[in-house]
Formats: sequence, C-alpha cells, structure tokens
Amino acid sequence: MSERDAILSRLRDALAQPDRRFPPADPDPLTDATRMTVTKAEGDAPALAHRFGQELTALHGSYEVVETPTEARLTLLRRVTDWMEQETAAQKGAVIKTGQERNVLAWAPDALPVGGLDAAFGDMGLTLVAPSDLTGKEGRESIRSIRYGISGVEAAFAAAGSLLVRTGAGMSRAASLLPYYHAALVPFSRLYPTAEDWLAEQRQAGALVDLLRTHANLTLITGPSKSADIEMNLTLGVHGPKFLHVILFRDG
Amino acid sequence: MRPTKQFATPPRRVALFVTCLVDMLYPEVGLAAAELLERHGVEVVFPYEQTCCGQPAFNAGFRDEARALARRYLDVFEPFVQQGMVDAIVAPSGSCTAMVTHFYSVLFEDPSMAADQQRAEALAAVTFELTEFLVDVLGVTATGARLEGKITYHASCHLLREMGIDRQPRTLLANVEGAELVDLAGHDECCGFGGLFSIKNPEISTAMGRRKCLNLEQSGADAVAVCDVSCLTHINGLLSKQAQRIRAVHIAEILNSQVDVAETPAEPQRDEAASSTSKPPAEGGQPRRWQDVR
Amino acid sequence: MPTAPINLHAPYKERIHDALHNKNLKTVLNRTVGRMSASRVAAMGAVDGEQLRRQVRQMKEYVLRNLPDLLEQFEANVEANGGRVHWAQDAAAANQILLDLARRHAVQKIVKSKSMVTEEIRLNDALEGAGVKVVETDLGEYIIQLAGEPPSHIVAPAAHKRIEDIAAIMQEKLDMPPTLDAEVMCSAARASLRREFLSADMGVSGCNFAIAETGTVCIATNEGNGRMVASLPRVYVAVMGIEKLVPTVEDAFLQLQALSRSSTGQQFTVYLSMTSGPRQPQDVDGPEEFHVVLLDNGRSEMLARGYGEALMCIRCGACLNVCPVYREIGGHAYGSTYSGPIGSVISPMLAIEASEAEKLPHASSLCGACRDACPVMIDLPRLLLDLRSHYVQQGVPPWFERQAMQGFLKVMQSRKLYETGGKMGSLGSNLLASFNGGAITFMPPPFSAWTKTRHFPPLARKSFRELWAERMERRKSISGPTSDAKRKPGEG
Repeated sequence: MSERDAILSRLRDALAQPDRRFPPADPDPLTDATRMTVTKAEGDAPALAHRFGQELTALHGSYEVVETPTEARLTLLRRVTDWMEQETAAQKGAVIKTGQERNVLAWAPDALPVGGLDAAFGDMGLTLVAPSDLTGKEGRESIRSIRYGISGVEAAFAAAGSLLVRTGAGMSRAASLLPYYHAALVPFSRLYPTAEDWLAEQRQAGALVDLLRTHANLTLITGPSKSADIEMNLTLGVHGPKFLHVILFRDG
Repeated sequence: MRPTKQFATPPRRVALFVTCLVDMLYPEVGLAAAELLERHGVEVVFPYEQTCCGQPAFNAGFRDEARALARRYLDVFEPFVQQGMVDAIVAPSGSCTAMVTHFYSVLFEDPSMAADQQRAEALAAVTFELTEFLVDVLGVTATGARLEGKITYHASCHLLREMGIDRQPRTLLANVEGAELVDLAGHDECCGFGGLFSIKNPEISTAMGRRKCLNLEQSGADAVAVCDVSCLTHINGLLSKQAQRIRAVHIAEILNSQVDVAETPAEPQRDEAASSTSKPPAEGGQPRRWQDVR
Repeated sequence: MPTAPINLHAPYKERIHDALHNKNLKTVLNRTVGRMSASRVAAMGAVDGEQLRRQVRQMKEYVLRNLPDLLEQFEANVEANGGRVHWAQDAAAANQILLDLARRHAVQKIVKSKSMVTEEIRLNDALEGAGVKVVETDLGEYIIQLAGEPPSHIVAPAAHKRIEDIAAIMQEKLDMPPTLDAEVMCSAARASLRREFLSADMGVSGCNFAIAETGTVCIATNEGNGRMVASLPRVYVAVMGIEKLVPTVEDAFLQLQALSRSSTGQQFTVYLSMTSGPRQPQDVDGPEEFHVVLLDNGRSEMLARGYGEALMCIRCGACLNVCPVYREIGGHAYGSTYSGPIGSVISPMLAIEASEAEKLPHASSLCGACRDACPVMIDLPRLLLDLRSHYVQQGVPPWFERQAMQGFLKVMQSRKLYETGGKMGSLGSNLLASFNGGAITFMPPPFSAWTKTRHFPPLARKSFRELWAERMERRKSISGPTSDAKRKPGEG
C-alpha cells in the first residue's frame, strides 16, 4: 500500500468511528453568506486611498495620492531620486561602486499601469531594468546590486494597507522583493476597501480559482519587511525591502 | 452561560455542599457561608453523607475512581433535590462546583452512561457557587459587611474560566462598607496550586505562587479575597513561609464580616460561642481574626 | 553565565530546575511573553475577535471532518498546476523524499524558512548528514542555528535569547563588529543571508495553510524570507502536516487574519506568499519545480484516538504567551519541538523525539488561560485531562500513586472512614503543627515537595460537620424539635 493510500485510509477509518467527540458529525463550511468580513473601510476612492495610506504609514511605509497618471509618473520619479540622494548621503567612507547605482529594477512597461516611465527616467539619467528572465546566473548577477524596485499591483486593500502582486510575463517577483526600496503604483481601479471585497468580486466573476491556479505565485504585501526576533526590537528591511512607497492615482 | 434553573420565587432552602477541604481545614468558611445564606432568608441543610466531589482523582486521570465519587455525590444530593427538601445546592468553592457542573458530564460522556449523564445534568442545573448564588439567584449585591482596610481579589481559575464567575464576587466586595478595593496585577493569573500539580511540579508551582505573592505585596492590600480555599492554602502557605504580612481570606468570611483585616493575626481557632451569632462585629463584640498559619 | 541552552536530553526534573534558575531566561521571558499577549488582545479586541474565533473554528471542524476528500482535491489541483505531491507517513519517509529530491537536483545548498514541521522531523540533520548545507533564513532561526540550538517558541524561535547573547553570536560567527544595535545586527544578517538566497539550489518551507480548491501553499512571514525561499532557488519544496488545509481562498484569508492577530497582533503578516505551481514559461523568475510533502507522523493517530481537536491548531503561539507555566520555564524545558500548552498535548502523540513526554500533560495547573487565548478555541485543558486519563489506563503512574488513589477512594466512599480519617488527621496534624508555632513545616515525601517552600495548615480541631452538628443541637434546644420534622435523622 502506498504512503498515500495508507494515510488516507487511516484518516477515513478514524473519521468513520461513531461517538467521537471531535470532529462534529456534519459541520457546515463557511460560505460567502456566513463568512465575516473582519475589518471595514468606507468611502470613495480618494477616501480609501488615504485610509490605505494611514494603515501603511503605521507600518512604516509611505504613500502619496495623486490625481492623474502623469502626476503618478512624476511623483514616482521624484521618490526614486530622493531615495538615491538618501543612499548617497548615507554612504560614509569607502564606497564600492557597483555600477548599478542609477538602475531601477522594474516590471515590463506593459505590465505597469503608468506609461512613459522609460523616457521619464531616462531623462534623469536613470535606467529601468525590466528583465524577462532571471532564472539564470547571468540574469541574477545583472540585477544583484540594484537598490530600487518598481512594480504595479493586482489589487490593493485599504483597511490593511496591503498590496497583492502576482507573477506573469514581465512581472518579476524580484522587483518587489530584492531591492532595498520598493515603489508600487496603484490605480484607483485596483483599490478595494478590504481583501474580502476583492475576493467577493473575483468569486462572483468566476475568476478567483483560476487566478490562483494559473499563476505560479500571488503575494500579499503589507508594509516593509520587518522582524522583532532580536528581543522584540523592531527592525525593518530584514530580507525584503526596508522602504515601501505606494503611489495611488486616479486611472486615466 | 451554563444552563441553570431559573427560580420563579427565591429559593427557600438549600443543601450546603461544603467541600472536603473546607470541612476539614477551614470549617469557619463553611459556617460563614451558611450564615450568609441564612441572613438572606435561605435555610441551610447539611447532608452528612457528603465527602468529596472526586476532583483530585479526575485531575490525576483516575476516571473510574472519580466516577465512583461522582455517583456518590449524585446519590447523596439527588434525594434532597428530587424530594423537594431543598431548592438548590450551594458550595463555597469554584473548583468543586465546576467539577459537578462541568466535569461530571465528561465522566459520563460515554453513551452507555446516559442515565448518569442525565442525573448529573439535572443536579448541575441547581448547583451553584456561593457568590453566584447570592448575586444571580438571590439578587443580593451587598451583604452588610463592614471592614476597615484594603482588600484585593484573586480570581481562581475554575471559578473564572469554567464557571464564568467574576462579576459576582467583585460586586459583593465592592459593597463591603469601609473597605477599599485595590487592583491586583495579574489578578486572573493562576496562583500555581493546580491540585497535585503543586506536588508533582513543586518548583514550577512555587515559582507561579511567588509571582502571585509579589503581585499581592505590590497591590498594597491588607488581605486578598478568594473564593476557593485551594488557592487560599497555596497562597497563604507561601506568604506565611516568606513572612509576608498580607493574607488570603475566603470571601465568605469577608462578606460575613468575620474578619478584621487591618489587625495583625492571632490564633487560628475560632471562638465557638461566637460562631452562632450572625451580627457583624460591633462595639463590645470581639472582631474575629482570620485563620492564620504562622 | 549567558543563556546556556537547557539540555534537551536531560531528565525532565533537571530541565525544569535549570530553566527556573536561569536568570537570563527569566529576564527575557519577562520582557517578551507579556508584550506578545498584550498585542494579541489588542488586535483581537479591535475587531469582533470572538466571531473570528468561532468562524475559524467552524472552518477547521469542517476541514477535519472532510480531510481525506480535501487532501485529494488539494493533490489533484497541485498536480494539475504542474507541481508534485508526495505523501509521507512518518519522519523517515519525509526526509527520504527530500534527500531524493536533493540528490536528483544535485543540491548543495538549501535555504529554509521557519518551519516547525521540519524541526519535528529533524530534516536539517538528515540533509546535513547527506552532505547538503542547510541555511535557516528566518532571523530568529538563523540566530539559533548559528548558536547551535533548537527553537524555544513556535513563533519566536530565539525568544530565549537576550540581545546581548545574539550580539555575541553574530560577532563570533559573522565577524560583526561589537554592537547592541538591533539595526546593525539585522543588516549583518541581511547581507549574509542574501548571499545564501542567491546561491542556493533548493528552497524548503513549511506551510501555514494550504488551499484545497486551488492547490495553493501559503507561507506567512514578516521578514520576506518565505517569499525568497519560494522564489529564488530552482526547486521549491513545501513540507506540511496533513491537517494544514483550508477549503477555499476566502478561508485562507480568514485564517491569515486570525493567525496574524493572535500571534503577533498584526492585521496581516507583512508577507503572505501563495504558491500554486512552478513558474509559468512566461514568468520572469520563480522555481522550475514545485513539490509538496504531506506528512502524517502521528496526526491520523491523534484523530483516531480522540485528540483531533488539537489538529485545528494554526501554530500561532498564543497559548505559549499566556501560559503561566511557559512564562516560568520557557520553551526548551519541555524537551520537545513543540512547547507550551499545545506542545504538552501533541508532543506525547506525534512520533517525535521528546524526552519524558508523558510528564508534559501534568506540567500544567489546568488554569485554562490557553483555551481563552486560542484563536480556534481548542479546549486544551480537556485534552490534557484526556491524556492524563490515558496514561492511567496505560499504567504509567507509579505503584505508590495508584495505591494512594485507591486509599483516597476508599476513604471518600465511606462517611465513617472519612470522618474517622479526618479526626485522626486533625489530631496528628495539630500535634505536628504544635512543634512549629501552628504551621506544618514538614511532611514526609512526596508531600515534602510542598513543605520545602510552603507552610501547610493543620486540620481544624473540629471539622465543619462537627461544628454544624453542635450548632444544630444548640438551635434545637432553643427552638424545639419541630423544625427538624422534614429532615432525615442525623441530617442538620
């Protein structure tokens, strides 16, 4: 008998016993009608955006809310250049030049919700690096020292200040994971009051199960990386980004 | 919370389930409990056949032995209830009441013991802890007790968590005239007794108890009220050994104004003649000292 | 002396004693568990915490009742998504699966995110024994790996380490300059571990919960190492206990919230990485292969023997933080992978190495604080009592204890024996107490365990029933016999 069959038959035998205190004989699963929504958020898109921002700020992230994609582009550029100045100022003593100081790891242009970024960044002497394959050694080496990452999102949830990102063509995991600084672009159309609201919408559209099954990975990001393992002292940027900046904007 | 009998008219007579620890170690607690009930218009009957609810055996995992004692409890108290001799059973102990009202149903869980299960359920519905009975059944919130001094309250685990009783003792204590009720840090933390745990894991039990004693010291109270003599024995055992001034007193004695908390303790034995009176200490009357173990 | 680890293989009594006398452990426990409990209370209080608990419990009850079907559904989905599912009845089988995978892929280095289940099966030992380097990447796990110790807490593995101890380890092993600045220590770890992540051949994680309807393994971390383990190496393996399923995606989000609020007082952990398969051809990055190892190791046995309720555990650590016993002795003293209240229930039953595990169900005063804290409302005290009863049936208690219990029963079953015994006990104890000014300061073993640190009162000179009988006599002589008409003879 295979391990699989042995385990499954043992479980079935155990569950077939009568008069077991646990589990109950016929428990109901939670359903869309009965399952609770744990937190709440209310208001129009700008209100939700600010709620999102409050939550994120409490988690040591930062945010801005702007009106148009154009403003989003400008804001993003300003944020990244501010970070670069911050980096330069923080470096004391001997600095090893990596050659990557003016590079930014990004999702491919058609995966981002704001256009014209290549040009805008190029004007400032910065290069957006959007690899299509990071599985090989060379690919990894090429981005290893990049300190800044830019991504879009699948969705954002106001009540918790969370972002949901997924994998796909031109949508590297690396951009939101490896660099020290991560900037995310969130159009209002992808902003939901709570995770439950987004889940309900996907479920009703019959898209939820496929969304997970057809994408290798979805990740929920709620603030910058942190740890309290060193005697409960809060430290940021343990493995993931230390700085997370989210730009929310009204879609064109 | 748990299903208890709702009395259309206030109960007139109860059976006292005094518990073996009170019977043998702290009889004045039993007397105080009885006097309290009598002063609130309830007659007290004491079934002499009672011994122990079986909790020590149950907690140690000896379920057959515990079951035997559970059946004995049912045999002793059931007739009083069924024949209408008493309306309810009252015990000055959270853990013993929890044993009857919660854990007897565990002992009789097996379908083959359905009859005993029913008996246990029926009796559980009319079994109450003392403060629960005073407040929830009799509607008493003040017992007319008078006390000078600072008191605090330690919430015994079974009373608090199995029985869900907390508001009741605190209400009664808050209405003790003259007494200042002070907060206790970690008031809902276990004192470390845990029955045989105190002997099987004495070092851990002592560490937990010492933490409780430290909190008691820091509360500034003269005495700590408890509803369970199990906690009381453990706490006082440590306080006495560590020569700390504060003492644990059973809530029945405080509510019956048996105690002068601000005075230093004297001999443990109570004056028998005085025990039949139910007046609070007044001028000319000797205030009673709580049992102290030096 | 710094927090020397408690010797896990020492006898139970010795472990407890060492833990209680370790001042540094005391300091760090006092600094941490209270805070963790407080943040849980605040986070659960900020929402309808009780409803959250009820719902997660309901969901878990459904999972366990339907476990075989849900496991089959999960497996079918993972494999349809391009992943592989392996089944392991015990630790040896699970470790063999991982060794085979490591061999097949010529794996030299593995990066791991924190996983209690891999501790349970001693995976690291098996891999290192085969010459594979294993690097723990959770900061707390990394620290204790550098120190050569096992974790002492389900959620905070380095909970027993003071900041001074951690600094010392990092100075020694990572060449970090002396500092007590947590930020600096963190940077040192980040840099060191980043190199490991990028050069590892395989990533191994545990699983916080897995979604049956989509074939998705979910890992929750605050640091991001879970994402890295699941994304960077070529091969990604998730090891999970068979009980770790949830039925739907929505249930996963519900459990995440219960977990986050109960373990660290957050709305969500910083990262939840949800992997359903290997990288798609068009993906920029991600593992080429995705494997899930389903582990039994005593779980089906727990279900069969009536301890299935403990399988609902979501490994949040809330019970540890609130346990008055854990607070005094810390995690290592339990001598098992799993400590605290949940550890005391499952350690004796999972097929794991745990020294004197049968003592653990008794290492509790049954206060019930754990049950109140548990986000899935597991009746831990009940399970501890069930285990105690089980041990009695197995004949574990020593002869002396069984005799004492029989004696106790005999006395309590007879009013005569009870009253006579009480009278004799009163005479004897008062005599004993008279030597010591009113308190009993010595009793023979095993009761000497009490008197070592505590006084005990002598029995009352007159029992309650004696005093009551006297009282009733006095009343009768005052009021006449009529009031006794309804009472049985001899009853007061």
